Amino acid sequence: MQTLHARQPRCVVHFSLSVGLLFSQAAFAAEQGPPSPEGIAFFEQKIRPVLADSCYKCHSVAAKAQGKLKGGLFLDTREGVLAGGDTGPSVVPGKPDASLLVKAVRWSDPDVEMPPKHKLPEPVIADFAKWVAIGVPDPRTGAQGSAKREINVAQGREFWSFKPLAHPSPPEVKNAAWVRSPVDRFILAKQEAAGVTPSAPVSREKLARRAYFDLTGLPPSPEELADFLKDESPDVFAKLVDRLLASPRYGERWGRHWLDLVRYAESGGYEFDGYRNGAYHYRDWVIRALNDDMPYSDFVRWQLAGDKIAPGTYVGEAATGFLVAGPYPGQITAKTEERIRYDQLDDMLSTIGSSMLGLTVECVRCHEHKYDPIPHADYYALAATLAATSHGVELVDADPTATKTALDAHAAAHAPLLAALRKFEAEELPARLEKWQREEMPALSSTARWQTLDPIEVRADKAWLDAEADGSVTFAGRTKAVQNRPGRAQGTDDPNNITYTITAHTFQRNLAAIRLDAIADRKFPKSGPGLAADGSFNLVEFSVTASPLDAGSAEKPVTLKLVPAQARFAEKAMPIQNSVDGNRTTGWRAKDNPGVDNAAAFEIAGGFPGFDGGTVITFHIEFRTDAIGRLRLAMTNSPLPARPAENGKPAAEIPDALGGGTDVQHLRDLRAMLDAKLVAAARPDAMRWMSRFDCEGKALFDTVADHARQAPRPKLSEVYTTLQGGRDVFLLRRGDVGNKEGKAAPGFLQVLATTEPGRWLAPPERDPRVALGDWIADAEHGAGHLLARVIVNRVWKYHFGRGIVATPNDFGAQGARPTHPELLDFLAGELIRSGWKLKPLHRLMMLSAAYQQGADANAQNQQRDPDNKLLWQRPAHRLEAEAIRDALLSVGEKLDPKMFGPAEGTVESARRSVYLRVRRSELIPFLTLFDAPDATRSMGDRGATTLPTQALTMMNSPFVRDIAARLAKRALAKGGTPEAAIDHMFQIAFSRLPSGAERTKFGAYFSRQKELIGGTDPKLAAEKALAATCLVALATNEFIYVD
Amino acid sequence: MFSHHTPGELVLPTRRKFLQQVGHGFGSLALAAMLNEQTRAAAAVNPLLPRRPDFTPRARAVIWLFMTGAPSQVDTWDYKPELQKRHGQVLPGSDPQTGFFKTSGKCLKSPFGWQQHGQSGTWVSDIFPNLARHVDDMTFIHSCYLKGNNHAPAAIELMCGTNVPGRPSTGAWVTYGLGTENQNLPAFVVMHDRKPRGDDQIWSAGFLPKTFQALALDARRKEAIDNLLRAKEETDAQQRTALDLLRDVNTAHAQVRPTQADLAARINSFELAYRMQTAAPEALDYQSESEATKKLYGIGEKNTETFGRQCLIARRLVERGVRYIQIFAGKGTGGDGSVDDVPWDGHNNIEANHRSCGAATDQPAAALLADLKSRGLLDSTLVIWGGEFGRTSDAQGTVGRDHNPHAFTTWMAGGGTRGGGFHYGATDEFGYKAVENKVHVNDLHATILHLLGLDHEKLTYRYNGRDFRLTDVGGHLLREVIAGDI
Repeated sequence: MQTLHARQPRCVVHFSLSVGLLFSQAAFAAEQGPPSPEGIAFFEQKIRPVLADSCYKCHSVAAKAQGKLKGGLFLDTREGVLAGGDTGPSVVPGKPDASLLVKAVRWSDPDVEMPPKHKLPEPVIADFAKWVAIGVPDPRTGAQGSAKREINVAQGREFWSFKPLAHPSPPEVKNAAWVRSPVDRFILAKQEAAGVTPSAPVSREKLARRAYFDLTGLPPSPEELADFLKDESPDVFAKLVDRLLASPRYGERWGRHWLDLVRYAESGGYEFDGYRNGAYHYRDWVIRALNDDMPYSDFVRWQLAGDKIAPGTYVGEAATGFLVAGPYPGQITAKTEERIRYDQLDDMLSTIGSSMLGLTVECVRCHEHKYDPIPHADYYALAATLAATSHGVELVDADPTATKTALDAHAAAHAPLLAALRKFEAEELPARLEKWQREEMPALSSTARWQTLDPIEVRADKAWLDAEADGSVTFAGRTKAVQNRPGRAQGTDDPNNITYTITAHTFQRNLAAIRLDAIADRKFPKSGPGLAADGSFNLVEFSVTASPLDAGSAEKPVTLKLVPAQARFAEKAMPIQNSVDGNRTTGWRAKDNPGVDNAAAFEIAGGFPGFDGGTVITFHIEFRTDAIGRLRLAMTNSPLPARPAENGKPAAEIPDALGGGTDVQHLRDLRAMLDAKLVAAARPDAMRWMSRFDCEGKALFDTVADHARQAPRPKLSEVYTTLQGGRDVFLLRRGDVGNKEGKAAPGFLQVLATTEPGRWLAPPERDPRVALGDWIADAEHGAGHLLARVIVNRVWKYHFGRGIVATPNDFGAQGARPTHPELLDFLAGELIRSGWKLKPLHRLMMLSAAYQQGADANAQNQQRDPDNKLLWQRPAHRLEAEAIRDALLSVGEKLDPKMFGPAEGTVESARRSVYLRVRRSELIPFLTLFDAPDATRSMGDRGATTLPTQALTMMNSPFVRDIAARLAKRALAKGGTPEAAIDHMFQIAFSRLPSGAERTKFGAYFSRQKELIGGTDPKLAAEKALAATCLVALATNEFIYVD
Repeated sequence: MFSHHTPGELVLPTRRKFLQQVGHGFGSLALAAMLNEQTRAAAAVNPLLPRRPDFTPRARAVIWLFMTGAPSQVDTWDYKPELQKRHGQVLPGSDPQTGFFKTSGKCLKSPFGWQQHGQSGTWVSDIFPNLARHVDDMTFIHSCYLKGNNHAPAAIELMCGTNVPGRPSTGAWVTYGLGTENQNLPAFVVMHDRKPRGDDQIWSAGFLPKTFQALALDARRKEAIDNLLRAKEETDAQQRTALDLLRDVNTAHAQVRPTQADLAARINSFELAYRMQTAAPEALDYQSESEATKKLYGIGEKNTETFGRQCLIARRLVERGVRYIQIFAGKGTGGDGSVDDVPWDGHNNIEANHRSCGAATDQPAAALLADLKSRGLLDSTLVIWGGEFGRTSDAQGTVGRDHNPHAFTTWMAGGGTRGGGFHYGATDEFGYKAVENKVHVNDLHATILHLLGLDHEKLTYRYNGRDFRLTDVGGHLLREVIAGDI
């Protein structure tokens, strides 16, 4: 299979993938020699008229001139017919059935039916088949029209956004006194050249309000504002910026901006819109990373490959929630799976492209990029870096430090207990044992068939198990989540198979049979005994190995051959035999008997003699998804009384022959042990058994066992994230899964690489996603310079209202050009120089005079630069949906500052909006009303629409009216009189006092409302009137437009 | 063609114009716009103002009756005697990739009685006794097909042009392209009972500004529009006083920020909201209709109550200038094991299912056509009927039908369509696949836009670096289904 990789850097790259084929066909045609006169006559009579009538409209040079060319196919020249279009050569001379053109006119492939509207008459179709069969005679000459955009990557690198960063010095300016930061020189120089002057600085109140909203998404409290205004020091604003950047509210505010870019949601969309319980960890990770000022380059790397950078860790898994946050269908069949997989890859690639690189990578899924220098193959190279990814849930410890502390404490407490037990075993046990053996043992007898095996060690690969004091083993929670993804491997490699490994010791000889009890327990669904919702389990393989306990033994471990004997319950199609058939795709299950104990017994073929010095028996019990919740293992030396049930017949019921409890086994085992040579390894076993007969020993033994059972376990979080999975990626012609062109090898966008992809992909075992992150953040040889430009522009946009590049998600040819290219490169350079830290970048921007401007009504400026591209003013910005809601919560003193955790479902919640649920089918109406994105694609610029339904919400919604009442209460508590309360309302809601005129207007309104409310209780009327006054304040433009 | 803009690229109005707008309020603005003084500034203040179409529209409004769950073409409008004859025989060309589940590969005849109706002699199955009387007003497109073979992707494809979510729906595009004539009511209204599979994604505004999003009326809810009604404790006088103060302070605020048109837009939005509080309940008040009208729509009958109300409300909305209405037909009377959110989904028993769904929708849909016609509204209102795909001609199980994206019938009536019971396109002799004049959803969309006066190739929106179209890179105008010459 052809591998699309190992590209050499070339000056001009022609991605004409059919070049090879074209040659071979040309050769074929040449071999045929010049077409015969008969062939030409046939063409002229039967083929050419049809081509002209039915095909040229969309497949000719003339069609191309009219912009009507379809599929890149030209049928008006011989070359065009042979070369074919986007879906490959149109004919294979001599082979009509293999020729796309013939298939198309036959309408045999639903995706290519030509002509599209009317099928040609059957005789004409037969003519086409014949024409191909006789070797495609065609006298037409002339070069094939060229539909393909030839992408010249080297030339493409000359486009401004792909060029390396320039290192401009801040320019000289005339009005140097205005300059507060290097940023200002770039701004002012352009203004001076255009004859535009900056606006006067904004008032300190407004500046503080601006900074609070920009960095935290919340208004300053009147007290915070007063503190700021009181401070006379020259660096007062710098201190405020630092304080706000250090606030945990910063990550919540800027995290939300990032979530827009990555189409973050907590559900799958499509049908059923399955909610992803563990999706919010990604949101929390984003907030934490921003608060910690994680370098942006790492921020990006972790989102692409955190699970590979730090496998199995909470941060690693949470970070890669990025890749899989997109929509994904809720019902999939084998028929649609492959297409959906490529849709998913496209979702990941387009999100990476838009959010990180400002590129429309998705445009290259079907063909070469129409505007940017991105060849079709680059898309699939990039897709191949994501090939081995799937999505699902991992269970991880969110706080490993706490877990380690707890484990250390437990271990420290355990040591002295164990030491006391060992001391007893060494100093006391032999004499006591000897005395007991002499005086008490002869009086005991043992007759029961089954003897319970006391587990020495219990573990499972995807769960925790508890060894209970009664010898049973209980499931104590999964450590690996069940994966419900289609296309997952089944059977042997099924990621949901779970294996219990249980070890016990015995000193007896001649083992005849093994017994497994599945015990019902109310803590499991339908009381078990299985963990499935219907109380069943699915045991796919049961195997037992035996090895000598005595380390000095020369005997080899053996696997016991089990003959299925009996099960108490089994479904007809899933009999007990399935558990010992060596086939992991078949299992034993009984789903019609929930809440009832089940059991199985297995005869050991030929019996097992046992080892001198004791035998270690290890049970491997493998389940598919649903394990047994509580089980017990036993053995017997007597043969089973009955033979296994016949196939198809119900299994004979197992007589409940566990008999007289655990002591019976101890006795027999102890006898066997004492009869044999007592090896040192057996001493703990002797202790274990003796403890049942010796009060002092029991106390010590139980203390150790009980304490061991209390060993702390980490609290595992269900994190929705990227999983290992997926499959090879192929290059698809026209993005069609039915048109594969060979396996794609991982690689990157050539226009953003000055060296070969091996630089990041080497050594070959390196995970391609890690390499993707390294390439994207590599400012010297990879995409890092563009990555820096794009993020710097975003930060600028959120501070200034418009990016230096007005299209923040498109830095390609279709996007806007930077208004201040030198400034953009300067800031990008600063970002990289500061170790990709974003907080210093905010400082750099916010401490500029440009940021601190007001909005002067300057007619000359307005005329010379009506769009404010030169930043001569900073107009008021409407708050985003989340900031509007959070500001409401804040002024109403309803805001719950709790951070992180599962999302809350309603607008009425007191949590910040970033913690509200993002379910694709049920977005929070309040937020979407104010332009929150629909979370299906990267959103770089929400816009701010104005709708009457927004006004209805501000006027009538119980949520806003409640806030107004709370604000009234707050203002009144502080003010006392209505007049003072109105002053406070202004301070709380607008960060300023009212003007005289405003005082009068609001005062008059308050009185009028009070009159209208009337009633007998003037105090109540005043409260209501004040709430009505507050409602007007909240509805004003000033409340949601921040100067 | 008007200029389209992306958020953040609005051109600011001049100070003089701005003050005029604030001073004269909405009325003069709307008037100015209608008098063709359609500046970008006006659009910045209210992007929903009516916009001039590309050419003279034939339809002013659209009512799309979406038969959620996908009716079977061969049991409704696409009569196939061959299928009746070869019941139980192997279906030639049966393609196992078609359905969502597994089908038998054996022909399943339509269990319904078929008769010809109207001048056109159109064959109609007996589940539509009422609609059958209107066949001569309809134009049938029998050759619809699409890609998605499950409800959500197909419904998203049928509404938004492609089967992955995130693109704007037809209604949002139309609203973006044409604005609306009645500012007191939403321009784009969706009505549903239980939400169809795919939920809001089906009628999403996608990447278009939220201005163009649908208002969804949930038949199960008492209050049709969130926060539409004034709070109980507040009187009109109180609210009016509040709005007067609000206008006063907002105007003062805007006057010192003369370059910001969005401030004026928001001032107007409160006045619009105030009027909407009266206008919207009035428009939705189907109870005020005559008893005869209510009876016509089947209101008061258990089977037809919900869909009847929705159809009647649709007519009332059209009368009041609402541009685009989509009704997702809700549950039938049940009895075949189908699910409420996909009522027409007759996997188990096509007869029981389609009888029940027919009984719930036939009379109201027919009433809508009759009512629109008698009021002279049918000529300017495009009524569309259809589901998200068709169903298999072979059986699923013994008496059910699986999904079939290769063929389904959509009919249109009024709004400049050809009518006369004209049949466009055809399926094969079993109704299994469209074979003649195949119509993809892009073609359907191009035609709908055309009827509304919009050129589907010109209606574009720049998003993430690309000029998007409803019809993406496809779309052929179906000239034959349009009345007269074009």
